[in-house]
Amino acid sequence: MLLVRVELLKLRTVRVTYGLILTVVALTGLFAIIESFEAGKTSGTYAVASLNTAAGQVTLTTLTSWSMILAAVLGLIVASGEFSHASATLTYLATPDRKRVLLAKLLAAAFVGAIFGLAAAAVSTGLGLAFTAGHGDPILLGGVTMVGHAAGAMLGAALMAMIGVGLGSLVRSQLVGIITIFIWALVVESLIGGLFTSIRPYLPYTASTTLAGIKLGGAAFGPAHSVKGGSALSFAAAAILLVGVAALISFVAARTTVRRDVA
Amino acid sequence: MAVIEFHDLTKRFGDLAAIDDLSFEVDSGQVVGFLGPNGAGKTTTLRILLGLATATEGSATINGRRYEELDRPLHVVGAVLDASDAHPGRSARDHLRIQAMLGKVNQSRIDEVLDLVDLTSAADRRVGEFSLGMRQRLGLATALLTQPEILVLDEPANGLDPEGVHWLRQLLRDLAAEGRTVLVSSHLLAEVAHTADSVVILDRGRLVTHSTLDELTVGVVQVVRIRTPKADELRLALELEGAEVKTVAPDRLEVCGSTSEQIGNLAATRSIPIFGSEAESTDLEDIFLKLTNHADGTKALR
Repeated sequence: MLLVRVELLKLRTVRVTYGLILTVVALTGLFAIIESFEAGKTSGTYAVASLNTAAGQVTLTTLTSWSMILAAVLGLIVASGEFSHASATLTYLATPDRKRVLLAKLLAAAFVGAIFGLAAAAVSTGLGLAFTAGHGDPILLGGVTMVGHAAGAMLGAALMAMIGVGLGSLVRSQLVGIITIFIWALVVESLIGGLFTSIRPYLPYTASTTLAGIKLGGAAFGPAHSVKGGSALSFAAAAILLVGVAALISFVAARTTVRRDVA
Repeated sequence: MAVIEFHDLTKRFGDLAAIDDLSFEVDSGQVVGFLGPNGAGKTTTLRILLGLATATEGSATINGRRYEELDRPLHVVGAVLDASDAHPGRSARDHLRIQAMLGKVNQSRIDEVLDLVDLTSAADRRVGEFSLGMRQRLGLATALLTQPEILVLDEPANGLDPEGVHWLRQLLRDLAAEGRTVLVSSHLLAEVAHTADSVVILDRGRLVTHSTLDELTVGVVQVVRIRTPKADELRLALELEGAEVKTVAPDRLEVCGSTSEQIGNLAATRSIPIFGSEAESTDLEDIFLKLTNHADGTKALR
């Protein structure tokens, strides 16, 4: 528990944590504004159902996908940042058991990742409801549904942060890791998901958005956004899938790169 | 009693042996200079000792145990390995807060070590804004936070200005006076000559010698350069005392076999003015050339 507290203190004392959460809030707000203008249009890649429907309101109140991507970036920084800034030396001098350090980083990143998800859900739900009310449409979503979506966003972002920690431990390079995350989430999953709809539900970023109540493909970029087909995983299956991915990457890192000499 | 022990330590990177069958011990309460030119394997040796790198063969232990096996390692060993160990985006105080939490020491100790290394006024500045010398001081503060009995310092004088080097020497003396064991690496003998009880010299991963400073400098002749308007008169006087003197300019002499003090006293008794006196430091390269019989070793043997 001490190590988790130390990792949280590390995160609290650097600006990048606050920069990332502000980016989550800003991007979520921006997309909420864009999508509110798209609501009710029947054509176009990013067409959104009318705000007088439950589907339209769900779309607008679950724009939490940026929290998943940026939580993964946070997790990556938690792990690889130690090598980019050479602070891994002090970390391992204090705790020579590197697997314990990795576990603490996974838990700390998950906690802060959940905050990212909560922040995105708060902004998305708040703006979504405000735009809906602004259109003069009745709120069709129940409180339980909205809380469920927010909890799902928190869980999705937490698990994506854990995947980021595993990835950061594996590649050690912050730059390579961040590029990998963005290309994977914005390009690879959109491409694979758009072409192979049967695989789409099992892609990690897509699965994390499933937890948050985002419809399958709803968080994809480009033409894949409007590709229909396939059915989303259940909440439990998506969560298990992401836990498995995080565990697998972390296990591989623990058995390989984490054991390597610290230069 | 040996508190740090290296036995047959070898580290290979492919075909290259960065450390080759290295064995030596550091006794409790001793200050040992760990010397060698850049690339000699000093840092790799220290990183293996501290569990940050693995040995290909052999062992490196502290109190008879590998670093990973120590209970509360920060309380046993304090280390400064790299001036860049602290996150540049974090303030010095926050950096020490994290280390204090890890070492389970009272947060009030932070102010003590900041004061000790003269960084109190910069405590809330980000480490990225620090000069190399300030980062070295912060590294020392980090190592001393838990008041460990053993200190392992890798080139701690790097980046320090002359005042900082003087301060570091005094700090090492104080630590030695407190009975702490210090293993301090350097590529300059002069840096550790004032404080080390003994020196370990490493060259290309191999142990060259482990000896006291007196043993090390036996047979190495120091050259004193003198500037005087009465060079011929002083030369005669010095040669009568048995010194070997060479006139390098009408007003300049190079003297072997006498110290600056001896030359000064002799000149004073004969009313010969001395405008300048410079003792050539016995630097590590000279010692190495002599000890390792490098091709151009004659320079050290003059």
